[in-house]
Amino acid sequence: MAKITEMPAVGRGFISELEMPEIEHPAWTPPVPASERRISIVSTAAVSRRGEKPFSWLARDYRIIPKDERDLVMTHVAVEFDRTAWQQDLNAILPLDRLDEMAQDGEIGSVADEHYAFMGAADPRDMEKSAREVAGRMKQEGVNTVFLIPV
Amino acid sequence: MCGLAHYFESEGLATVLVGFVREHMEAIEPARALWLDFPMGRPMGKPNDPVYQLKVIRAAFELLEAPFGPVLQDFAEVIPVRDGRMGYALPPGLVLTTADIGDLNALLAEVRAEIEALRPAYDEAVAARGRTTVGASELAIENLAPHIAAFVRGEKPRSPRKGLSPVPALKLVVEDLQAYYTEARTYRDGIDDFELMGKWFWEETRAGWLLLLLEAVSLETEDRVLRQIVDMSLITPRFWSEGPLPGTSGSGW
Repeated sequence: MAKITEMPAVGRGFISELEMPEIEHPAWTPPVPASERRISIVSTAAVSRRGEKPFSWLARDYRIIPKDERDLVMTHVAVEFDRTAWQQDLNAILPLDRLDEMAQDGEIGSVADEHYAFMGAADPRDMEKSAREVAGRMKQEGVNTVFLIPV
Repeated sequence: MCGLAHYFESEGLATVLVGFVREHMEAIEPARALWLDFPMGRPMGKPNDPVYQLKVIRAAFELLEAPFGPVLQDFAEVIPVRDGRMGYALPPGLVLTTADIGDLNALLAEVRAEIEALRPAYDEAVAARGRTTVGASELAIENLAPHIAAFVRGEKPRSPRKGLSPVPALKLVVEDLQAYYTEARTYRDGIDDFELMGKWFWEETRAGWLLLLLEAVSLETEDRVLRQIVDMSLITPRFWSEGPLPGTSGSGW
């Protein structure tokens, strides 16, 4: 994406005024070797299974995306990003097939059974409780690596 | 996204992320981050291009080999955008008023004809892709435009979704209508160009015209939530416009 200074006026104004969270003591978790990685995706595209409760505009909660689920809809509040890519190919935002292929080829250990979606428009500080809950679920199924993908 | 990464790291999970706004990544300093000079909505770069998608993923996962951090790296390839904008934007001068409403029944008939003309392509697209993104509103495709037209008439039809109030549901109805059009067109004509698709839908179709009328009505409404979605650019794509919609901040967040 272009630098903020290169953006048109309205978007530039909004993005440059966003308040950044301050992290006082950032943690660093040493990754496990590639062959042992069990990976879960966290997306902020506000996608969910068809029929599930839509995300509210500044939602703090999350939805679980099972590994083999492909019938997803998006209820993201924002319209400033391109939606035609994911309409054509889910892997454009949620590369579950690509991770599966990497696992089959031995590039990574395995793909988690559960992946997670959040509403990217919400303040991350408001999502801390949900993020820690998701982390607990991940650890229960042996996930050790998280791939975070915005939209 | 960068903030979330810190929570997962502090829970003992190694993280790697990709991101679009480099300045934010520099400020929040997630443990491992790959900056993508891509348009928003395309974090894996290109749809239906597994080779390119794998290239992005592998570049991100390479950061998991770094002995210490935070690590912020630029992806080697750029997907150019037009004039710094990350998505399609309506021309600032393309603004309708309620005086443009005219014969709404005739307009609805034109939209219905567009929908029917696109139906074979839409059905083929769904069959070929094995999925559709249409349906968040849970309204049948033939009911999408009439539902929107009711708002243009000043009515407030019931939400098609239980637990969701009428205006947030209206937003999903609008997005379903647009997705129906673009899913059909991208498949039928093999187009992967969001600028072209945006220009076609918003500037050339009767469905786009109907939505611009909805915007015009929303600008004059006393309904606080309906007005809010215009102020926040939540229905019509003006976020990347050179100027805000007249009478709004263009970014009422």
